[in-house]
Order: sequence, then C-alpha cells, then structure tokens
Amino acid sequence: MKVRRPVASALAVAGYIVMIVPILFVVATAFTGGETLRFPPEGVSLRWFEAALAYEPFIGALVSSLQLAVLATIIALLVGVPVTLAIHRGHIPGKGLVEGLFLSPLIVPELVVGLALYQQLMIGLRLDNFETLLIGHTVLMLPYAVRVTGASLALADPALEEAARGLGASPLRAFFTVTLPLLRPGIFSAALLSFVTSFNNVPLSLLLQSRDFRTLPVTMLDYVQQSYDPMVAAMATLILAGTIVVAVIAERTVGFAKIFGGINR
Amino acid sequence: MKSRTAALLLLPGLVLLVVGFLIPSLIMLVSPPGVEPAQIFVRFGEMLTDPYDLRIIGRTVGIGLVVTVICVSLGFPIAYLLARSTSRWSGVLLALAIFPLLLSNVVRTFGWLVVLGSNGAIGQALVGLGLVDKAPQLLYTELAIVLGLTQLFLPLAIISCYSAVAQVDAGLDDAARGLGASRTRTFWSIVIPLSLPGIVVAATLVFAGSVTAYTTPYLLGGSSQRMLSTQLFSYASVTIDWASASATALIMTILVFLVSGLSSLVGRRGAIS
Repeated sequence: MKVRRPVASALAVAGYIVMIVPILFVVATAFTGGETLRFPPEGVSLRWFEAALAYEPFIGALVSSLQLAVLATIIALLVGVPVTLAIHRGHIPGKGLVEGLFLSPLIVPELVVGLALYQQLMIGLRLDNFETLLIGHTVLMLPYAVRVTGASLALADPALEEAARGLGASPLRAFFTVTLPLLRPGIFSAALLSFVTSFNNVPLSLLLQSRDFRTLPVTMLDYVQQSYDPMVAAMATLILAGTIVVAVIAERTVGFAKIFGGINR
Repeated sequence: MKSRTAALLLLPGLVLLVVGFLIPSLIMLVSPPGVEPAQIFVRFGEMLTDPYDLRIIGRTVGIGLVVTVICVSLGFPIAYLLARSTSRWSGVLLALAIFPLLLSNVVRTFGWLVVLGSNGAIGQALVGLGLVDKAPQLLYTELAIVLGLTQLFLPLAIISCYSAVAQVDAGLDDAARGLGASRTRTFWSIVIPLSLPGIVVAATLVFAGSVTAYTTPYLLGGSSQRMLSTQLFSYASVTIDWASASATALIMTILVFLVSGLSSLVGRRGAIS
C-alpha cells in the first residue's frame, strides 16, 4: 500500500501515539500483580482494583465528586437556560456585553478563580467548602449552559413560539410545549459537558478541599504524591471505563462532534 | 418577551456571576486580606525583575509556545486527513481524537508517570536494550511537561482545525491540482490560508490552556520545574503569601487576556483581508 501524504500521515501517527499510548500504559499497570508502579508489570491480578475499591478516601471522594457534579449541573442549567432565553428572545440593552459577561468564566484561569473563592468566600465569608465548591463549579458551567443551549435556540424559529402564543397558549405553556423540546439537544449537550467538566476539575477545586468533603481528582493527586503504588492506576482505569460509558451515551444520543463543535464556535 | 420578564430571567444568573465570580476575583487581584493594593504592584514589579521569578515566567511562556507549535503541527495534519478522508475509519479516528476531552486530566497525565518514570517503559526499554546502564532522568523535566501538555491539548487543536478545514471546499484543492499545482503547493497556498482562522483559535486555546494548567506541571514537573500555576498554589497554600499569590494570579490572567486579545485582533484582520 502506498501512503499518499507521507509527511502528514507521519505527523498524525505521532499525534495519536501521544494522545492514546500513555492511557494504555495506565490500564496495563493497573492489572499488575507486583507492588510498585513499573513497566513491564509483574504478573496479572485484580488486587489493585480490590484495594482501590476498599480504600475509603477514594470511594468517599468519588461519591462527593458525583454529588457535586450532579448538583452543580442542575443549578447551572436552572440558572443558565433562563439567561439564554433572555439573551436570545428578550429585548435587553447591551446584549453582546451580557453574553460576554456570562462567557467570561471561560477566560479567567480556573486556578485564579479558585484562589479568589478560597480567599473571599471560604476564609472571608466563612462559607463551608462544599458551598464554595458548588458556587465555583456552577459559575464555571454557566458559559456551557449559555453558549451550547444558545446555539440550539438560535436554530429554533421564534415564529413557532409566536404561533403557539397566537393560538392562545400562555407564555409558560408556549415555553414548555414548544421552546423546551426544541432546546432538548442543546440542554443535553450542556448537561453532559458540565457534568464532565465538574467531575474532572482540578484547578478550581484544588484550594477548596476540606477533610469532610474532598473531590476525587484532587484526592488522587495527593495520593500520587505520597506513594507510588498501582492503586491510582486501578482507580484511573475505573474512571476510564466510566468515561467510555458516558462517551457511548453521548455518541448515541446527540453525537460527539456536535457536542464539542458547540464549544469552539 | 417583555423586558421585565427578560430582566427576571437574567437576575439569578447575574447574581451568581457577580457574587460567585466577579467580585471575589477583583478583590483577590487588587486587595486581598491584610494586603495594601500597592504591595501587590510592588510584588508584581519584583517578579518581572527577580531572576528566580523571571525563570518561572520564562519557563511558563516558553513551554506554552513550544506546546502550541507542536499541537498545531500535529493537530492540523490530523484534522486535514480526517476532513478529507472518505474512509469509514475516519469517524472512529475522529471520535478517538475527541474522547480524551471527556477523560480526567489526572488519568491522562498519570500515564506519563508510567511511561517516563525511572521504572517506566522508556527507561526500562533503554536499559533492557543495553543502550544505557541507568535509566535517564525523564520525569520532572521540561520535556515531560511538554509531552504531558501536548497530550492534554492536542484534541482541542484537532477540533478547532477540523471545523475550519471541513469548511474549505475540497473542490478548491482539486482545482489547484488540476491547474498543475503540486500536492504540497496546494496544501500551503490553498488549504492553510483558508483554514487560518481555525488555526488561530487552536493556537490560542492551546497556549492559554498550557500556561494555566496545574495537574501536568505538578505531576510531571515536580518542585524542580515550577511553572506559574504550581508557584501560585505554593504561595496560596504553603507559604500563605497573599501579595505574591495575587501578583502571580495577575501575571497569569494578563498573559491569557493578552493572547486572547491578540488572537481576536488577528482573527478580525484575517476576516477583512
């Protein structure tokens, strides 16, 4: 077989190796029977998976991270979808400015936002770290709610809502029976992006940890710093498996490229 | 929609944004607890002249630039091949390029510890082949950070370039080829200029991500290869030096704003010409 574009193909292969191969090594070491993180692994066993699932700090943090991600996603949508409606359907002065304001959490470095919330809300206003995390994650997701559902709303014809209103539907009824169904793919995409962003977040959550409520990625980072055993590889492999499930659901419902196409446009 | 309804719909979001983001960020940047605003600007000035701080700023910007160049030069060919391919594998390969965006940065970066560590795959392979006596130090180097960040941001570069290349009519390639241009010439004088806006977006996202990333420099750079982000964390939680933390945050924020501004300027100029 003759490769038609040798330079581009070689670069592409290099790119895929950098993106994918390290992940395969994580999986390979998770199944080791040995004591340390080394390659090649010594024997095959599930002992590190058992260890990870029995390690309370990981499982506690997993539950915390899931709670936080679900709650923050719901709040971000409840707050963000009305904002999108106001921007696209309302007559408000400075529309571009308002939209820019709601997208601004995407530009400011997350670590900087984390420091600000730690210092001003947790230390200054004495909020507890769960409340601060919830506020921070919700703010971080507002841009997704506004932009991704906004993209759906921009495609929906306002004449449909006007027709419903003209036929005697109340504004609320027109929203729930006409607008909301049109927004469904956008809302689903925003929810998925928000959930994943929150669950995986490190920079914003880093300073907002306490003994009672810790998120999983930060707990794993701390663990790696202390000990060099394959338990983190096992936990990482479990997260990988969960992420594949989420990816398959995303692909089957809205389609991958559509979900992520929405962020960059 | 009445403007009062619109205002009511906006209100909860605005309150959350102002109380949970804008005000805390502004106060932190200019007047953290027990610190005079002037002190921050003094620290800010010191950081731009102190050799130790300058090395960290230089490393952050340098690594950011290198990662940006690598991600665009690997990401664009991938996007181009995927957008122009008619193979049924291209869908799978595109999904494979997007999938890492869903996966935790900790999981993705952790893989490099296994690859680059002293008991890792590369070190053991080199020793096993008899090329070296002792595994070379690959972890906790700038190279490790560059590899880790490239892995992290390549998917973003691919997506941005892909949406740009996909919009360039493949008929233009054929026309140029038909008029006698070589494949290389067609690529450089048709495909690249027309996809430039996407390349600019890709470069901006990768650079901004690289200079603010925390997980990668923390795991792969350690304390010997500090970047602005790991330094900021150390000021905020180890030494509790609010003035230095704010000054570092200010440098990071200015850096990102500068690049975003520059990129939208280039984007606008490109749109006119």
